[in-house]
Amino acid sequence: MRLSALDARDSRRLRRRARRWTTIRKLVQYATLLVFIGLFVASRGSRWPAEVVNLPMRLDPLAMLAQLLASRTFLAGSTLALLTLGLTLVFGRAWCGWLCPLGTVLDLFSFRRERGQHQPPPESTRAVKHGLLLAILSAALFANLSLMVLDPLTLVYRTLATSVWPALDRLVIAAETALYRIPILHPLLSGFDRLVRPSVLPTAPVFYRGALVYAGVFLAVVALNLWAERFWCRYLCPLGGFLGLLSKVALLRREVGGRCTECGLCAGSCPAGTIDEAKGYASDPAECTMCLECLETCARGDVRFPLHLGAADWSHYDPSRRQALTVLAATAGGIALLGSDLVARRNGAHLIRPPGTLDERLLSQCIRCGECIHVCPTAALQPALTEAGLEGLWTPMLLPRLGYCDYACNACGQVCPVQAIPPLSLEEKRRQVIGRAHIDRNRCIPWADYGSCIVCEEMCPLPEKAISLDTYEGPNALGDPVSVQRPQVIAERCIGCGICEYKCPAAGEAAIRVYAPAAGPLF
Amino acid sequence: MERITRREFLRCMAAGLGALTAGELLAACGRGATITPTHLPPPVLVPPAETEIAASSPEPSSTTPPEYPDLVVARGGEPRELVRQALERLGGIGRFVHNGDDVIVKPNICVAYNTYEYAATTNPWVVAALVELCWEAGAGRVRVMDNPFGGTAEEAYARSGIQDQVVAAGGEMEVMAGYKFVMTDVPQGLDLGQCAVYGDVLSADVVIDVPIAKHHSLARLTLGMKNLMGVIARREMIHANLGQRIADLTSLIHPALTVVDAVRILMAGGPTGGNLADVRQLDTVIASADIVAADSYATTLFGLLPDDLDYIRAGAAMGLGRSDLANLKIEEIALGA
Repeated sequence: MRLSALDARDSRRLRRRARRWTTIRKLVQYATLLVFIGLFVASRGSRWPAEVVNLPMRLDPLAMLAQLLASRTFLAGSTLALLTLGLTLVFGRAWCGWLCPLGTVLDLFSFRRERGQHQPPPESTRAVKHGLLLAILSAALFANLSLMVLDPLTLVYRTLATSVWPALDRLVIAAETALYRIPILHPLLSGFDRLVRPSVLPTAPVFYRGALVYAGVFLAVVALNLWAERFWCRYLCPLGGFLGLLSKVALLRREVGGRCTECGLCAGSCPAGTIDEAKGYASDPAECTMCLECLETCARGDVRFPLHLGAADWSHYDPSRRQALTVLAATAGGIALLGSDLVARRNGAHLIRPPGTLDERLLSQCIRCGECIHVCPTAALQPALTEAGLEGLWTPMLLPRLGYCDYACNACGQVCPVQAIPPLSLEEKRRQVIGRAHIDRNRCIPWADYGSCIVCEEMCPLPEKAISLDTYEGPNALGDPVSVQRPQVIAERCIGCGICEYKCPAAGEAAIRVYAPAAGPLF
Repeated sequence: MERITRREFLRCMAAGLGALTAGELLAACGRGATITPTHLPPPVLVPPAETEIAASSPEPSSTTPPEYPDLVVARGGEPRELVRQALERLGGIGRFVHNGDDVIVKPNICVAYNTYEYAATTNPWVVAALVELCWEAGAGRVRVMDNPFGGTAEEAYARSGIQDQVVAAGGEMEVMAGYKFVMTDVPQGLDLGQCAVYGDVLSADVVIDVPIAKHHSLARLTLGMKNLMGVIARREMIHANLGQRIADLTSLIHPALTVVDAVRILMAGGPTGGNLADVRQLDTVIASADIVAADSYATTLFGLLPDDLDYIRAGAAMGLGRSDLANLKIEEIALGA
């Protein structure tokens, strides 16, 4: 049906107004992404207070709820998530459309042209995200937070921390090293370096295990856009599922007015793919991300967002009671299986946790966000990959050969958004025993080779050093007389910071290694 | 098959050469440059390789003009005054720093763990006094830096108190960036052949070494020569044959002026410290153009002799300076109060 001249003018005016909204939305999306990245960058070096820096994580209601259920401890800081819940109860899944950093990245890489007319998966696939949501919450009831790796905010933060940021640093270092050969560029290089370090990039290169895996997972999530737009948000995101179910009772919901000509343009432009031709181009408020694209595309300006009271209809992919119970039972079974597997305890010898935490407590409180891993100035905190079993995947552990626990630092506890690592003062943190060093006398240079080296003793940060030296005077392996100082660990004093292991000049594996503190019996 | 035109052929050649050059440049990113140091003294006859020295040290490469003392020891005053008076007696800062010089002041900021009262890091006012003097001499640029082994540079610069005082004196604190460490030959080295050294230190006009006198388990004491370890990247390898290698490193860096901070000294538990009971307040500053002499005098503050330290013996044997205190022109001044 062709538009009359009057209709056409109206339409243009309405579309201009609508475009203002989508432009505002895009600006808000980019601004929030920049703020997210800005807070990520500012977190290192304690330049900004921890409560500001971990703000995005505390806004995440899924993370806060899961942590509350799993640890049964209420934290004042997590009430910030109520803001997001409040926003959802008024505006529906506006978080997904306007604020979520992963959502913004997925919009930036929407691959519209590459996707073409590819058929998206069937609607029932939307149930997967509800399943994952229920699994996360059920597991949390059993004090297990392993599935928090699926949360979008923790996903983005971890990827930034372990893959993107170190890789960016490596590129900059490569450029700087190459350009340093040209002497006239030195002042320019120094100026640039001072500008970016330590404010944006680290002063010493950082290495994280599993960086490739993390980048791979993130790229896979983005690549799924080739199958359907915002694939993650539609079918996989547990936070999206959570906010979606809440949106069933949101105040503002999309509605199509009586002047609809069934042109189908809105359905084509909807990133969430929720505008249903069969239902008269109505949309499911649990899937609608309030992006307002349909507002812009509708030639008749017939899309409205009026107030609604009362719940929206339940779709076939929304969780039923049976499905919820099935997921609960399956999760319980899964957790029981995890507990039967001894992996968590098998490699425990070198499983060193951040100061102030106990392994059991950490597993049920850590939301796997990676903030502590990022903030650690020596990159000592690394994600556990297999050391704590599948249960402990992506929880923080110390790898002294990659970085030592800085005696001058207590940043991890300050920044943790759920206090899984308790916020300790520097003095308290220095008193925490996180491990104990042992010297391998078969490889230690003075002990094995009669050589001169006491780097471990030199580096020990304690005022009363945990390494003492004795002097050996006698023949070496060739029979020549030597006098060497040999180190010995004083177990009662050692706090397990690992600087000895980090600095040990022995090739490959250090000759002094930190072991996890003596635990109780295996079970 | 069509014949290739001259233009196409040249274009192919250019593209190929361009790719080769780009590849070389990219490969260079991983390697970094080797810098030839600009202020090495002329080669000196190296004595035999034992670290035991003869009864008197051989003549050092740079002889002090007769009107100046070899060493000045200032006692009993505020750190800033001690430094200023000591430098004045030594012949004034103008003897070392000239108009427009690029100056690097190298204090000891080895750890970020404690504040300056714990005597593990150089006194902030001693460092600041030197920065002030350099500006007065007309220096073009004055930078202060160290590469801590415990904690990050930002933490260490702040907690030691040195950042605040240096910035107040108009100096620059520089965090030693990884990309500037270049593999350098040590031509006079008897044991150390090559070492990754901070390029800017080698190309600077003047290097001023400002150690704090403190205990060290392997070296016995950390003084001026040992303080130079802060300018190299891989410190662990120096510990095998520490004495000779420190002397070798000193031959490469050759600071123009050494000012030993003995305002507070650390008697035990070094180099990290942490126990106030191990600190002794001496309110003393030692200044000399001869790093070996400065270190030699400093050993006496701990009740030791210069010969007790391996690196002093090695340095004297290499002709880097003199350790025979009895034959040196030493001026001791007391600042009253």
